[in-house]
Formats: sequence, C-alpha cells, structure tokens
Amino acid sequence: MPLQVDVTFTLNGRTTRVGVPVGASALTILRERLDLAGAKLACGEGECGACTVIVDGQSLNSCLMPAVDLEGREVLTVEGLWTDAGIDPVQDAFIEHGAVQCGFCTPGMIMQIRYLLDRNPNMSEDEIRRGLEGNVCRCTGYKKIIDAVIAAGRTATA
Amino acid sequence: MTLPQLQQPPAIEEYAAPRSLDEALDALADGAATCVAGGTDLWVQKDEPGRAVGKRLVNIKNVPELAGIEVKAGRIRLGALVTMTQVLEHKDLAKKVPLLRAAADKFASVQIRNAATVGGNIANASPAADFVIPLLCLDAEVSLASMKAGKVKTRTVPINEVFAGPGKTVIAPEELITGVEFAVPGKNFYGGFAKTGPRPALEIALVSLGFAAYVEGGTLRDVRLALGAVAPTPIRARKTEAALEGKSIDDALIDTAAEALDAEIAPIDDHRGSAWYRRRLARAYLMQELGHAASG
Amino acid sequence: MTKIIEKDTIIGKRVRKMDAPDKTTGRTRYVNDMVLPRMLYGKILRTDRVHAKILRIDTEKAKAVPGVHAVLTGADTPDFGIGVLKDNPPLKKDRVRCIRDEIAAVAAESEEACDEALRLITVEYEDLPTVFECEDALKDGAPVIHEERPDNIAMAQHFDHGDIEQGKAESDFIVEGDYNVHYVTHCNMGVSCAVADIDPDGRVTLYSQSQYPFIMKMDIAPSLGMHPGDVRIVQPPVGGAFGSKLDVYPYEPICVLLAKATRRPVKVIFSREEEFIASPTRQPVEFKIKAGMKKDGTLTFREVDTLLNNGGYTSWGATTPYVTMRTITSHYKVPHIHYSAKAVYTNNPFAGSFRGYGNVQATWAIETHMDKMAEIGGFNPIEFRLKNANEPDEITPQGSNLGCIDLVGCLNTAAEKSDFLAKWAKYKDGWDSPERYKRGIGIAASLHNAGGAKIHKSDGCGTIIKMDDYARITVITGASEIGQGIDTVIAQIMAEELGIPMRDVTIVANDTATGPWDVGVHASRTTYIAGKSAQRAAQKAKAQILDAAAKQSNVSADALDLRGGHVVQAEDGVAVMPLDRLLRQMHFAGEAAQLVIQSDYYEPPTESEDENHVGDMSAAYSNAVHVAEVIVDTFTGEVKVETVWSVQDVGRVINLTGLEGQIEGGIAMGLGYALSEDLKIEKGIVKNPFFRDYHLFTAPEMPRIDMTFIETMDSEGPAGAKGIAELPTIVIAPAVGNAVYNATGVRIDHPPVSPEKLARGLFEREQRMRQAAE
Repeated sequence: MPLQVDVTFTLNGRTTRVGVPVGASALTILRERLDLAGAKLACGEGECGACTVIVDGQSLNSCLMPAVDLEGREVLTVEGLWTDAGIDPVQDAFIEHGAVQCGFCTPGMIMQIRYLLDRNPNMSEDEIRRGLEGNVCRCTGYKKIIDAVIAAGRTATA
Repeated sequence: MTLPQLQQPPAIEEYAAPRSLDEALDALADGAATCVAGGTDLWVQKDEPGRAVGKRLVNIKNVPELAGIEVKAGRIRLGALVTMTQVLEHKDLAKKVPLLRAAADKFASVQIRNAATVGGNIANASPAADFVIPLLCLDAEVSLASMKAGKVKTRTVPINEVFAGPGKTVIAPEELITGVEFAVPGKNFYGGFAKTGPRPALEIALVSLGFAAYVEGGTLRDVRLALGAVAPTPIRARKTEAALEGKSIDDALIDTAAEALDAEIAPIDDHRGSAWYRRRLARAYLMQELGHAASG
Repeated sequence: MTKIIEKDTIIGKRVRKMDAPDKTTGRTRYVNDMVLPRMLYGKILRTDRVHAKILRIDTEKAKAVPGVHAVLTGADTPDFGIGVLKDNPPLKKDRVRCIRDEIAAVAAESEEACDEALRLITVEYEDLPTVFECEDALKDGAPVIHEERPDNIAMAQHFDHGDIEQGKAESDFIVEGDYNVHYVTHCNMGVSCAVADIDPDGRVTLYSQSQYPFIMKMDIAPSLGMHPGDVRIVQPPVGGAFGSKLDVYPYEPICVLLAKATRRPVKVIFSREEEFIASPTRQPVEFKIKAGMKKDGTLTFREVDTLLNNGGYTSWGATTPYVTMRTITSHYKVPHIHYSAKAVYTNNPFAGSFRGYGNVQATWAIETHMDKMAEIGGFNPIEFRLKNANEPDEITPQGSNLGCIDLVGCLNTAAEKSDFLAKWAKYKDGWDSPERYKRGIGIAASLHNAGGAKIHKSDGCGTIIKMDDYARITVITGASEIGQGIDTVIAQIMAEELGIPMRDVTIVANDTATGPWDVGVHASRTTYIAGKSAQRAAQKAKAQILDAAAKQSNVSADALDLRGGHVVQAEDGVAVMPLDRLLRQMHFAGEAAQLVIQSDYYEPPTESEDENHVGDMSAAYSNAVHVAEVIVDTFTGEVKVETVWSVQDVGRVINLTGLEGQIEGGIAMGLGYALSEDLKIEKGIVKNPFFRDYHLFTAPEMPRIDMTFIETMDSEGPAGAKGIAELPTIVIAPAVGNAVYNATGVRIDHPPVSPEKLARGLFEREQRMRQAAE
C-alpha cells in the first residue's frame, strides 16, 4: 500500500479530515475520496484548467497540487459556491449568457473567474482574456464566457 | 497522467513537512529526498521514468525562511518559495526590475503562476525555463543550504554555473535552494524579455531571450544576453555580449550582433520547431530588443 | 375578470440552456465521473510497434496481481472487427498495424493494480515492413496492411459529370494546385470513457459517450458475441464529442468484454495522452486540383484527385469523400467535373468523423484554389466568387436541390460589413514594405448540408411527449445532447407550440431503452430533424388538447389556442381555462381517460445517393461566408486573427444565444485547424500527445467576431430553421489562409499556417525578391 498521511483542512467552509496517499494530487482526493466531482480531470498536467480550485485565495490547478499540501489550507470548490445566499453571480452569469455548452470546462472556468473577480471586479476585456489563458474550452470560443465575466463583475460592483 | 505505466514508479516511503529551515535540511540530509513546493513541474514528471521521486517526499511549502521578497541596501532577495504571481504583484520589484515582471508575465498561466516558485524553476533545470532567463541577465546568485553533521552549511553559486544539462544541476541531493539574490540595477538600465508564441503565455518557449544593458546616449554598457531553449541549458551569450559592449545601436551593429548570436547558439531540431526556425527567432528577438533598447 | 393573453413567440429569442444550472454548479455527473457499486477499472495494453506480427502474449504474471479480476487478449474475445469495414478487432490477436493497437486488457479493483498487471504482460513480436505515405502504400510490392485488400485501398470513390476535355478546351486559364491537409484531433475536454454493466440474463447496459446510440447497438454487438437487442446504450452527459463518438472504438467492446468476464461493472477511462494517441483524428487528405476558367471569370471545369491516408483501420475518415465530393461538385457552378478518392491503408493512426466531416478539408482546398484563380484571372476575390455563385433552387451535378440558399447575399453582406475590397487592395500593396507587422484580409465561402444527410436507411428521429396533471411536459427524444443545445431547442419548440414556460419542460435524451430511434447527432441535422419531430409531436398534442377544450367550452378547436399556460380564444386572447385544469379533467374523465401522450417519427424528404453518387441527400442546404482580418508578425511568422466577419444562412434563428455559441465555438475550432493545431505523426508515432504541444485556441487568441444571420426561412425545417453547426468550422480556415496571403504574398497551401511554416515562406520570398533584384 502506498504511504498515507492524514490531512485536516477547510473544505467549502467545513473542517475536513481525510487520509491521502503521499503521491496523490489534491484533485484525486477531492473527486475520489470526498465525492466532489465538480473539478474535472481533463489533462492532469496543468495545461487546461478544468481542475481549478481556490486554495487560500489563490486559484490553482488541483491536478498539480500535492494532496499532502492540503494540510491546514482553506479550499473552495465549485460546489462551495452555492450557498444559503443562492448561486454565485458568476454561475448565474454563465447560465444567462450562454457560457456553457458541454460544460466540462465550466467548473474550473468558474473558479478561475471567481478568483479573478475577487481581485478585480472591473477587469478590461484584455485582462479577462489573459486571466483565462490557463483554461481551455473546446465548445464556446470563449466569447460568451467573457460576456459572463463582464456581467458578473457588474453584479459585484453594483 | 501518462499511458498506463510500463515502468514501475518508485514508491514514496516517507513524507516530511518541515516547519523550519533546520527541519527541512535535516529531512534532506541523507540525499534520498525530493522537495516539492508548487508541484507544477514535479507532479507532471513524478511518474515518468527517469524523473523518479526519492524515497522521501519533503514538502517545503511551510518553511518560513524560504519565503518573501526583500529589497534592501541595493540588493534584492527572492526566497525560493516566491511564486511568479508574487513577483508580478510586488510593486517595488516591478518598478526596480521590470525585466523580472516581463518574464513572470509570460510564465505558463495564472493558476501555474500562483503555484510555481522561483526555486522550482531553477531546480527543474529545463533548457526552456522562463524565469531563469532574467536571473541570468541580472547575474543572480543562488543561495544553497545543507545540513552536515548537525551544522547548516551555506554556499552561493552564480546562476550561470547552476545548470549542467537538461534537468541537471550542480546542486547536491542534500542541498536546498533557499533563494536568489542580485543587485538592483542602476539608472539607465534596460531589460527586456521575449518568448515565442501567439499565446501570451502557456507556451513552452521555442526560444526565449532576455536582454539587458545600461544604455546611455545610445551606447550599450554591461550588456547581458541570455537565451533559453537554444542549448542544453539556459545560456548567457558571452560572445554576442562582447560584440555589443560599448557600441552604439545602429543597423550595422544589429546585423553584427545577429551574426554573432547565430554563431554562438546551437539549437536543435525537434517536433516543436527546427533549428533553422529557432535561429530565426533568436535573431528576431535580439533585433527587437536592441530596437527597444535604442528607443529607450 | 377577463384575462387576456397576447400572442408571443419564443422563437429567435435568447434562452438559457436547459442543463446550464447543473453544469455551472458542478452537479452534472459526466460518464467520466461515474462510479457504480462494485465497479472495477479497466485498462488497455497498447502496442509500441507500428507494424508487427504478435508471436506470443504472456499474461500469467498479470493475472496473479492482487486485485486483478480479468486479463483478456484477442484469444479470449469474439473474432469480429468493428469500424466501417469491420477491419478492426477490438483486441489484436496476431498482428498490430498502428501505434495505438490494443493487445490486452485488464480489469482490477484499482487503476494502480491495472497498471501493475499491464507492466507484467509480455508480448513477443516480429516486426514487419512499414509504410506511412499513401503514395508508397500504392506502389507494387508495398507492405500489405490487410491481406483482404492486397492493393492497400480501403475504399475508393469517383464521380464524373459533363466532359472534362471540353471544359479544358473552353478554358482561358487552367490553374493547378496541391493541398495536403493535416491531422488534427477532437480534444474533447472529457476524455474517452465507458462504463459497462452486465446482467445475469446476458444483457449489457453501456454508459457511453456515443453520438449515435441506436446504430451503435448494431455496430458493437457482433464484437461482443451478443444480439443488438441485448445492448442498451445510456448516455450520461459528455464532455464534448464533435463527431468523435460516431463509431465504435476498441475501448468500448473491451469495456463490455471485461464486464462480461468479471460479472461486475467496469469503467475504462483514457488519460489525456492516450486520448491523443488512441482516439480518431480528422481525415488527412492530399488534394490535386486542376481547374479552369474563361477570361470573363466563368468556371469551366474542376478536376480533383485525392488520396486519404487511412491508417491501419477503417473508421468514418475513409467515408469523408462522400461529403468532400458534394463540395467539389456543387460549391459554385462548375459544368464539368471529375473527382476521385482513394483511402489508402498505412501504418499510421486512423481517422474518424469530426465536425465539418470531409468539408473542412474540401473547403480549404477549393477556397484557397479559388483565391489563386481570381488572382490569375485578374479578379478580386468577391467578384470572382459572385460570378460563379450557386443560385436558389439550383440542381447540382450530384442532384442536390439547393432550395432557398443565398450565397450571393452572404458574399455581399460579408464584403460590405468588413469593407473587404478597400482593405484587400490596400494590404496587398504592402508586401514589400519593411514593416514588421502586416495586415491582411481574406474571404472564403462554403456550402453544406443543412437538413440532414441520408447515409443510413432512415435519417429520421422520433419524439414522445407526455403531459402531466400540472401541465408539465416530459419530452423523450431520440436526439443526443452533446453540449450543442438540442435540449434547449426542443424545449423552446415545445414551449412555443403548447404555450407553456420552458421551465415546465423536461427533456429526456439519454437511453435507447426509453427513447425513440434517431440516426445520431451528425451532419448538422439535429435541430432540423429532431426539432421538426418535436414540433410535429407538440402539434399533435396541441390538437388533442384543443379538441378536448372545444368540447368543454363550446368554442371550436380552430378558434382556440394555447398561450401562457391557458387555453385561450385565438382571436382576442381571452383565457378560456387554465391548461393544467383541462389536463386533469382529461385525465380523470372516467372511462374515456385522455392522458396526453403523443409521439412522432419524422423522416425528412431526402434520397440516398445512387451508385453514381447522385441523389438529393439533404432536405436543405446552406452557405456561410467568413472574412478574416489578420496581423502577421513577419519576424516570427505568428498570425494574430483580429476580426472575423461571419455571415451564415441559418434558415431561421431558434435560440439566438445557442446559435451564436455554435458559431463562436466553430470558429475557435476552425482557427485552431488553420493556425495552431497539428497532430504530428512521424513514422506512425504521435509526437505531441499533450496540450502543451498541441495548441488549442485560448481566450487571449480569439478574434472579435461580427455575426450576421441570413434568414432564408426553409419551408421544411422547424419554424424555418436549417442546421448550422458545422459551417463555422468549415469555412474559417481558408479565409485565414487567404488573409495571410493578402498580408504577405506568401501562400501556405498545406495547413496549418504555423509560425514556422510562414516564417520559412517569408524567408524564401525575401530570397526570391533579392535574387530577382540582383
């Protein structure tokens, strides 16, 4: 059996403890041990962004994050964006602006956008595009995703 | 993720998450450990044959001595754990050394910049390492530390002496990169960075080029020219630097420098691009940077 | 108080995609996310040879690995191939023909145990002579890839119309060109995956990414030794498909065979690297074109011979000539035509179907060639295309009745909106300027089927609708939802016909056990055919409801309508009764219980091709014209596409948001084809099976897109709509190639227009200019 260690961290606002194999990625643990299948495995090499989650306020490719490094961290996944206050404005904007087709890139895309908007709700279109350079979408051509970011940013500043 | 592995990846037998430099160096002392920080290179490569992880995995992310950007007394120190995003967002750094910012800006993607560290980019020793290029231009020194018989030993190595080949460095297995240091450039310092690709980032450089010099009245002094992906390691192009040193930028000089550079580099053909194209790019970027330097 | 409900329409509006709330919140579980109780993992051992005899496979050590439940080889499995020519046994018994070939498969309790078992399988080979190029494979004495076809020709087609010699004699200019279009692959974000579950009666449920579930039953069954009726295909949501799932590929029968061998559910899922190596590509084609014109610009003949590198086995790539042929014969008016295609076996990977199937390749060749011809004849690109443009109701040499097309309108609109002619004339004057960055503008047009494509005995689709006591509607459609938005189009059509909100519609489109038959999602057919079937089913339900309402209200059914959840008087909108109350009354009417359950099967009015390839195989046709404006970095050869003007005949807009999304996404995919995507295959080996070396377009690279929809109101399509999804991918690439030429004077005949290729072209042009000056 591969070496396992226990990690304790905050996952979508709740304290979580889970045993993780030392060689595993955070993505594998989220998906396979914690049943959070929102973050997707689409390349496993940090080239597509489908596995993006927010860790201590930073967006990361969870496929490249060692699961052992979850210890003590605060992790937000797409499942954590639907709260008592309803769904996140980014999710709402995605629905209204047609930013979803097959949807496989969507959770990672939304987490990256959440991170970007937390830093700057008034990004220029170029800043939005640059901010999404690590998130690949094969369906939409990105235009409607960019529209959704602009709309969600407006909600945030309204 | 790769095809089903036809070679058994070595098992990790121990895990350490040190909370201080001493603890970290202890964990590395027997030379059988592999460090992980951002994971952006290691987690891609760890299951590949020949890039085996040692029997002990040491997570250095929580070692406070490796963190932070210090700007004082005319010198800058970047801790090994400083991320590309921290480089980008550090106001003083961006102002004092725009070259660093330019390279960090073209580094992979936001998510990777949020994780990838200065120390990791050096330790991974890719011939195409983006952040090594400005460090070469800045004559940075890499600080190393190790634990020998209960005592911390440190040494510094000029960055251009760190790399021994693709994926290979002169850093000993028990040594840890603690940071890099360099002098803050003075007045009239120009530094620029160029890298291939219609994508702004997320691109493995076919050629990357850093150019820096003091430019006064059109004359170049203390020229530094560094290139990635044109040799087995990132290099300084010393002969081309010499051809430029003390000269004024004009069309004839640009031609001379381009010829010198062409003679100095030894790019390869691979599926990413031909040697011919890499030479063309190196030349184009040099011309571009000399043009920028001339126009201030 | 009298309630008045005005007539309103939802057709052409922006509506939200039905499954977007689940997809944005991470609730959607894709095939890739599926876990069944007691599920095992399956993995496949692939060969590292490109052509070899298998002498021996030893699986004994693998079987002994703890957690391993089954190890299968070709010796354990039915001797029946899959694919278009059934030439591809899922597990190869005695020979491998390309790098991806499946040798053995393992089912185990963990992926790690699978890996360990695969490592312990030893295979002894005897290497065979290899061949990678079509031309070499056609030579006498070339290595034979399949003994049944000693000439290495997997499939061949030809078409002749008119008299080529006469066409040549009438030509003032004859222009020749070679265009070799490259390998690209789908890169679905959700990698290939299947989960199979066997029951004790020997029936299988296959959770699949299939785009053609009903035909898949028939295609997969023989390779399983099963009856097609015992195969149930369930389609959980998929992470993209784009044509890649229109055939059975070896991992699918392997997954079922592992489930059969272990009597447990088995999941096979690829890694991204495996996806690049072992999933189908777009068909590469070598075109040789000769085409003539008169001095006045009239096309006189078109002679096109093509070779298709078929790789080791035959999937749908080999049949792309059926579509390529329509473009060659029917795009622009050409009186004399010759076309031939040979799909040639080699030791390369093999191609499947991919959005724009056969026409992406054809349009690159034809529209690049048209640009060259315009220049040689002294015409601008617009006037030359207008001169030869197809007209409405034209019958083409292959018997396509083009119906209500508007190529002239598309060309003129695109030219006007982009200010094409002024820019085109200005930019081509800058070829020899010393500027580093140069601008260019280019145009391309294409023609595609937009009302299905009759390649099967039926091109139909069925719909079942059921209305409950609360006026909520469940629609069971045969159509497959793969992200394109047919769920939403059908819900919109239901809402329109039955006067209810879209929120009250539930779409079920995921199971061959419940759904009515459909040929599959391909050929831009689903909105047209599934949409039409849905509309007809809804109209039947509406008639039944209005009949019931008429009996209760003493108003004739003709004078009633359904709006806003009510039965209303059609003329003034006065509400007669709420729909839900009427439905309950219909339900609880005692002996004459009248639950509303209606169905429809729609077969479009189309013909199969005859043996001479003549037949009106689509119920509608459509054009798109794209203009691209680019900036070329002449130092590096990098091309930045700044703006795309897209003009497309869409019949009628149904969901404006969804339509724009299809066009934007199609353009992104086509731009990748034009500029950055290139699956590099050297001696049968895929050299770049990673996103870091296979460049999909990312957000910062995307151009501004200006879209115009021309509504020709197709008389057959639902609400006038035509199919739209493939044209954007088809037409953009040659527009970019033509723009690069307009910017630089460098013509790249073989896509992609990669920075290196263009840099070399620019360098060679500089050399030529220098020599000419000396």
